[in-house]
Amino acid sequence: MKNKPLAVALPLLFPALAHAMGLRAFVALPVDKGGSVARLQIERNLDDDSNLAVANLALGISAKQAILLGLPYRLSPAGTGRVGDLGLLYRHIVWQNDFANGTRRIGLLGGVVVPGDSGRNPALQAGLVSTWYRNRHEWDIDLLYRAGLGQRPDSGRYDLSWQYRLSPANYPDWGVTAEWNSVLELGGRWTQGAQTIHQVTLGLQWIHPRWVLEGGIVRDINGPDETHLLLSTRMHF
Amino acid sequence: MMNKILLLLFTSLLGTQGNAGEVVEIDIHGMTCGFCVDAVQRNLRKLPDVEKAEVSLKRKKVRIHARDDGVDLDRVRKTILDAGFTPLDVERIDEK
Repeated sequence: MKNKPLAVALPLLFPALAHAMGLRAFVALPVDKGGSVARLQIERNLDDDSNLAVANLALGISAKQAILLGLPYRLSPAGTGRVGDLGLLYRHIVWQNDFANGTRRIGLLGGVVVPGDSGRNPALQAGLVSTWYRNRHEWDIDLLYRAGLGQRPDSGRYDLSWQYRLSPANYPDWGVTAEWNSVLELGGRWTQGAQTIHQVTLGLQWIHPRWVLEGGIVRDINGPDETHLLLSTRMHF
Repeated sequence: MMNKILLLLFTSLLGTQGNAGEVVEIDIHGMTCGFCVDAVQRNLRKLPDVEKAEVSLKRKKVRIHARDDGVDLDRVRKTILDAGFTPLDVERIDEK
């Protein structure tokens, strides 16, 4: 993985993450019709001192339909190929069960990867995502497969995410206050011809009604044995 | 004018139109966090017949203060659905 050009390798690690409530996992929670969520994430690889920015945008078409866009850009080191591949995903919630203390939803994902450089090939992607929220707990699961076209290798990912609301323990009668969530995630990133790299993520989120500030640390369980730091912010429009 | 009065009377009898200046509370299922609250409040506040809308995550409901002509409950329900959540029972609140 380290021998691949960054611009190719990084999009495989960091695809469209817009409106994920976890740090890296997709989520099946809604983006309101006509609403949008923008996210800017900065990623630092502590092992090679590289830095990556990922811009994400989620657009709500309807309560059950959303478009997710993600574009990585390498901040450092300098050089060619800094713009990564554009991830474009359509998410459709196909099953929804709302109840007083939460919700359970399943969504399908489908889309394309558009190369940011003429020297790379596109890919088709498909997968599913599920969210189960109850009281102070949220669980998200996603699976995504990317079929490379031309010389592009196939790739895939999975994420299991658990978020726990640390504060407040109880909501006020009316209105909302800022929330603190802990995040624990297990994820895997696979590329054809290479081993699957499993990763664990620990993080913290500070959630306001219109914006979120969050950070975490991603550690490889196997493979390159790398450590990444994440810092991101989300805005709800 | 007479047609408007008859229309208002008709919709009131159907139970889809609130009374002038009234307050209604609607149970909502599926909300999980501040982003959900913002989506519901922001979209309800865009409705011309909504004076004020506030959400309670604790009680899982929204309280709507209607403008002078009352609130169109069908439109309110659709707005909540479009935000991605499930509206349930409606309760009219006497604030006096």
